[in-house]
Amino acid sequence: MDDSETYLLLLLADSNLPTGSFVASSGFESYVKHGFISSGSATDGTINFVHDSLGTYARSALPFVSDVHRVVATYSAQEEPLIDAALADIVALDELYEAMTLNHVTKRASKSQGVALLTLYSKGFSRPTKGPQPPHEARLATLVDRLKLMIRREETHGHLPICWGVLTGALGLSLERSQFLHLFLHARSLLSAGVRLNTLGPYNAQQILLHAVRPLVEAETVRCKDLRTLLTTESAHDSSWSDEDVAGPATTWPLGEILATRHDLQHSRIFNS
Amino acid sequence: MSAFPLGKRAGSITAGHGRIAASLHNSTVVFSELSCAYPLKLLSPHVTNAVAVAIVYMMSYGGGLVGGDCVKLSVDVGKGTKLVLLTQGSTKVFKTRPGKRASAPSAVTLPGSITTQKLDVTLAPQSALFLLPDPVTCFRSASYVQVQKFHLLEDASIIVLDWVSSGRKSLGEEWAFTRYYSINEVFVDTRRVARDVLLLEEPDSHDSDLQQPGSASPRMLKDRLAPYSCYAMLILYGPLTRGVVAEMSRKYQEISVYKTISPERLLWSLSHIDDSKGAVVRVAGIETEDVKSWLRSALRGLEDIVGNDVYCKAFL
Repeated sequence: MDDSETYLLLLLADSNLPTGSFVASSGFESYVKHGFISSGSATDGTINFVHDSLGTYARSALPFVSDVHRVVATYSAQEEPLIDAALADIVALDELYEAMTLNHVTKRASKSQGVALLTLYSKGFSRPTKGPQPPHEARLATLVDRLKLMIRREETHGHLPICWGVLTGALGLSLERSQFLHLFLHARSLLSAGVRLNTLGPYNAQQILLHAVRPLVEAETVRCKDLRTLLTTESAHDSSWSDEDVAGPATTWPLGEILATRHDLQHSRIFNS
Repeated sequence: MSAFPLGKRAGSITAGHGRIAASLHNSTVVFSELSCAYPLKLLSPHVTNAVAVAIVYMMSYGGGLVGGDCVKLSVDVGKGTKLVLLTQGSTKVFKTRPGKRASAPSAVTLPGSITTQKLDVTLAPQSALFLLPDPVTCFRSASYVQVQKFHLLEDASIIVLDWVSSGRKSLGEEWAFTRYYSINEVFVDTRRVARDVLLLEEPDSHDSDLQQPGSASPRMLKDRLAPYSCYAMLILYGPLTRGVVAEMSRKYQEISVYKTISPERLLWSLSHIDDSKGAVVRVAGIETEDVKSWLRSALRGLEDIVGNDVYCKAFL
């Protein structure tokens, strides 16, 4: 890891980044409310949730991060950039993520965090001064602006894993770092939700993040880093079935889906998801 | 019948394959094709019903599937035709063929190999398919892959029920299978409107090297799915499902969740998809019977669409 990548990681890992993740509990508030955590072992219950949530999120979202990151990296390296082709690939992945996320609460949270990441890139990571930009940066800024416009016109959705792939690809963060950081941030935001839901204290959360969560994030990254979405080129009427079909994104925790969807049914709630 | 020389047919392209083509003629559903090959069996009982609708039972010889079995069914539902697909009892997935069938030639059964079921359905305009099977029950160490794809043309309707239970609880099996992988995908014209992929497998069954030294005991599949022993997923789409979805939606909106100290016996959720032209419903229950009776009641509105005589054959 070179110095500029380290510096980027420090910026992206900042919990004060305006990405809207502080209003998302990814179903954890609902999990607690539905009685899945007993008061005697709230810390263990929190770790279990992180474990299961991270497992299903990694398996379902990481292939999208990876594919989008590759699209952006390819576009970024092109001598004569094919922006329409890159956008079409990104939108196809966004459509597929929409069709696979069959839960309106998760969709809502994913879209609001996704577009926030693109805004962060345009407003927070662009060069402050007017004037000549390195051509490579200008090209990436154009890609992000075009995508943001499409989202605003509701021509695409702007889901979180898609936009994370765009952001980290545009910043030149390596795919490996992008994958790891995405899962780390998912886990950290669950623990931070846990602190606000009072299932654990702030010191305990830090301790868990360092000791219990680290092996989980590492294991899930290793498990899912090579998975692809595999579907972007498949035509709808191609009913042929291959082993590849079963190596793509998947949900691994149906209980988590039910609880996350039921978030909006809570009589009172402090999170948006 | 069981003496059927399967081993000799192993190379046949038709083993385990089936085909259904149904269409509406003078307000009667007729089958221009209804064919199948071992171990798949298709049966269409005569229906006396006020509504023009046909039922096909999908069955397997010996009441279950074994490792290596590959069932592939393709279905064409003609314009304006209503078809109900059912099973008789749960689809049992064994690691190897039980009982005396275990003595079959080794070429027949590859212990521990994957069992696959593929279903491809094409729905003509204004047609409808109601796929309401019993749950899949995977026994210890079984490995099962199911890929179901549905292609709808304009104004076609569909209800897909896909559910899985934890195994033979009486034998102490609780989420003890190796792998359950189920894909349900719905296309309208050529647009993909839903792709549900559920993967249930024991952690680290493929990558035991990921076990972290000093980490807590591995979290097993049954820890993740507890306290429930049955999970169901419903996809409902198209004009004929509107009434059922509206009624479910009304009931769903009435739920108000207050803090409880332990999980409820049954939980369900509902999300609309594709600008409310369809919905995805998920259900979890302590017992399979809890989920079954919930489904029977939630889909009651189908009586008006397929007729009472037909509806009462589902969820027995």
